[in-house]
Amino acid sequence: MSFLVRQIALKASGGEIVRARRVDGDEMKIGRDGTCGVHLPDLGVDPEAALVTQLDETHIEIESIGGQPFEVDGRPVTRKELDVTEGAELVFGSHRIKLGQDPRSRFPTFTVRRETPMAHSSADNDLTDVYTLKGKVPGKRMSAWAFAAMVAIAFLAWPIYSYATYNELALDKEAVRPVGFHGDKLWTSGKMSLAHKGLENDCQSCHVEPFVAVRDNACMTCHKDDAHEHIRVAGATARLDQARGEPTGFAGFRRAVSTTFNKPVGRCVECHTEHEGAGAMAATDQQFCTDCHDGMKARLPDTKLPDAADFGTSHPQFMPAVITNAAPEKPVVKRIAWTPDAKEYGGLKFTHAQHLSTTNGVAQMVRRRPSEFPEQGALDCENCHQADPSGTWFKPVVMEEACQTCHSLTFDQVGGTFRTLRHGEPEMVVADLRAFFAGGAPVRPANLGGMARRQPGDSSAVGVAKDYARAVRFYPTQASQAITMLFNKGGACFDCHTIIPGGAATGGYNIQNVAQTQRYLQKGWFTHDRHTKFECVDCHLKAETSNDATDLLIPGLGGKGGCRDCHVGQGGASLASVKQPVESGCAMCHDYHADDGAPWMSRQPASRRASVDRKRNAGSAGTTSR
Amino acid sequence: MATIPHNPDQGDFETAATSRDSTSTKAPKKAPRVRRDRVSTHESFLTYGRGRWAKIAIGIFVVSLATYLFIDVEPRHNGGSWYGYTLGTIGLGLILWLTLLGVRKRAITPGRWSLKAWTSAHVYLGLSLIAIGTLHAGFQLGWNVHTLAWALMMLVIVSGLFGIWVYARLPTAMSANRFDAEGAITEKQMIEGLKQLDRQIHDAAQPLDPEAAAVVDKSLEENVFAGSAYARVMNRYPKCQTRAAIADVRKLRNFRPRLEDDPFEKVDTLLSRKEALLAKLRRHLQLKSWLQSWLFIHVPATFALIAALSAHVISVFFYW
Repeated sequence: MSFLVRQIALKASGGEIVRARRVDGDEMKIGRDGTCGVHLPDLGVDPEAALVTQLDETHIEIESIGGQPFEVDGRPVTRKELDVTEGAELVFGSHRIKLGQDPRSRFPTFTVRRETPMAHSSADNDLTDVYTLKGKVPGKRMSAWAFAAMVAIAFLAWPIYSYATYNELALDKEAVRPVGFHGDKLWTSGKMSLAHKGLENDCQSCHVEPFVAVRDNACMTCHKDDAHEHIRVAGATARLDQARGEPTGFAGFRRAVSTTFNKPVGRCVECHTEHEGAGAMAATDQQFCTDCHDGMKARLPDTKLPDAADFGTSHPQFMPAVITNAAPEKPVVKRIAWTPDAKEYGGLKFTHAQHLSTTNGVAQMVRRRPSEFPEQGALDCENCHQADPSGTWFKPVVMEEACQTCHSLTFDQVGGTFRTLRHGEPEMVVADLRAFFAGGAPVRPANLGGMARRQPGDSSAVGVAKDYARAVRFYPTQASQAITMLFNKGGACFDCHTIIPGGAATGGYNIQNVAQTQRYLQKGWFTHDRHTKFECVDCHLKAETSNDATDLLIPGLGGKGGCRDCHVGQGGASLASVKQPVESGCAMCHDYHADDGAPWMSRQPASRRASVDRKRNAGSAGTTSR
Repeated sequence: MATIPHNPDQGDFETAATSRDSTSTKAPKKAPRVRRDRVSTHESFLTYGRGRWAKIAIGIFVVSLATYLFIDVEPRHNGGSWYGYTLGTIGLGLILWLTLLGVRKRAITPGRWSLKAWTSAHVYLGLSLIAIGTLHAGFQLGWNVHTLAWALMMLVIVSGLFGIWVYARLPTAMSANRFDAEGAITEKQMIEGLKQLDRQIHDAAQPLDPEAAAVVDKSLEENVFAGSAYARVMNRYPKCQTRAAIADVRKLRNFRPRLEDDPFEKVDTLLSRKEALLAKLRRHLQLKSWLQSWLFIHVPATFALIAALSAHVISVFFYW
């Protein structure tokens, strides 16, 4: 008997080469070894893997030699009897052997075919991409689309969905969105200011309609009452626009672009910018003021305001509110243009220069009273002028605290007690004097009598007699005399006060009302607190030379001691050279929302603000009558 | 001027030995230096036009920084001022133009508007976006779509910088890796060499006993291109079957008598040669993966950036 073995190999072109061989004998081996009848050059097959035995004409038996199983029709076996007429498929390693019967010779046939290549590298791999990262990482195109889609969904679709589902927020003061994250918050361009922090979750409170810039009606939902007059008064917005005029040049181009992009002019948010970061809203830029106020007279002829622009170069002279007549119960206050010779009529007589002198009798008096003026060689401003608790202004000067230290109103001594005329009450002054003189002339000194003990010689007696005679001669012996002296030149009242005619109760005399101004610059803000490193006379120059109380001692805009000594414009512009320039925008002194408080920019710490408010409510022009 | 197909990726390097004239059997007619001159005058896209675009980019950098410092925008710089809008518009246009390199590179043209010029401009104008984008934002960053766009832009720029670095440094290493005593070896040749070695190993291993044959078979069955992206980038193949096969074969051989014409020795020698070839091939794969990897960030991040930019622009006008 024999076996027919057909080895099929693949050509490079894809065709098949069949090598047929007859193996004689009743037995045949299958294996890697070259001597085997069915030679399988396959490292996965034992050198002698199986023995094929012919049982009869149609049956063969295949048995594993080394015990290594092989597959018959897909099932692993180590021994199998097979009917060649039925055929079978054997698998050894990478080889598949088809069993059959040759129709002519009736020999069993073994058709051998290699199923998998002998090495991975010998397979016909597609080599175009093996050296690339293709298939190793997500493809560029795929991940590009995926990432783009993710971004578009998260940062575009979600926010728009959030917008669409919370329309009721718009123009409703009470409406709020539930706490939590809403998609359109991804669009925020920065934190809201402190004042609007509560709106951070509700974008549509301001952004009412898509693609429509924030309009004033959104602001007015809440600010109906506290918006300033530029907006609130009917027609004010139009006037504001008129004051601004038509911009030219680059500004005109910018406005044209804004308008093209549906950003109308004159909206609140042009000045009140938001999303600039947490914290207080930023101070308004000078430009927002000067856009209108620079050359406004030309555009708004009926305005009462002088043109103003940069503080350093084009600010109008100060217009302090001064007392022009203190006599009426409510003093007459008038705003005048500041000049170096400006006058204010507060009703008092006072010599600043004389009192501040370091060489005259005033200074001498100070030096002689070290318990009251410790380590002072002369009077200081603060001996009379005391700052108010806020440090912003000065308290009105009070006679009893300031003047009376030296200018005593004592007229009598009873035991160790001095009797004093009552300041501010002329009726009582007159009554007290009348009562005093009811006692008669000065008491004759005892040592003028003949029985008195005295020093030897006449000299002391002469001295006493002289004093007494002078007293009798020069001091009034009658009340009416004393009253007349008091209210006339040389008298205690006359020295400081303006004497006006009065009724019988005051001996025909009276004192004119006295008023002191606490805040001269009503439209601008000045705080002494921020200027403590300077001497008073650095700015109040004339205090050292003025001997007339009607001289207005507050400094002006420029000149020596004026504000422009230090303060320059926002951009540093100034008319004269400044040693230590302090850039001062409008907002440093001025407030759009004009009230009595400090401007937004110069607000003091909250702890101080309360006391300022208290003082302010008492009235800005603090008056003391008489 | 002689034109010779030039494909460096496939190992075509212009040397005297590979130039047409020197391999020709005819006597050289024209000066072979023509080709060499071209090689020596090679100009990288980094130095194109004597750094024309580098100078322009520096100019953009300086001008934008100077205007940023000198133009007083109140209350402070951000994308919402006129200056911010200007820079933003320039930046947006620039980003879209830079993206077009992907379209442009598929059409190769010579001359003034050559791809090299475009690439040079792409690189340097892309770098100038750092200034334009950041100054547009006025250094205000937060957790929002606007900063997302900025961050993606920076990611694209940084990945591009990495790309430039590998393009500048790795080709030399790649050539060095492919050169040996016998000259340069191409990618195709590497695979051919591998096939040949595998065939030889397969034949040499035929006499081996089943145990040893199974060990050798593992090396043959291994797909050398199968490693993960990480394995490629790091050139780490701890489960290399060839190395394991060498070790196992040597171990088995130690317990057997020495024979003349020992199949073990043959297999061992062949496996060692395969290992050396694999080392070269894998180093090549590593260098190539580095050359390619940055684009897998650069390109998807660009498209994510364009999506973020669209959201950024739409959001600004939506909540105008």
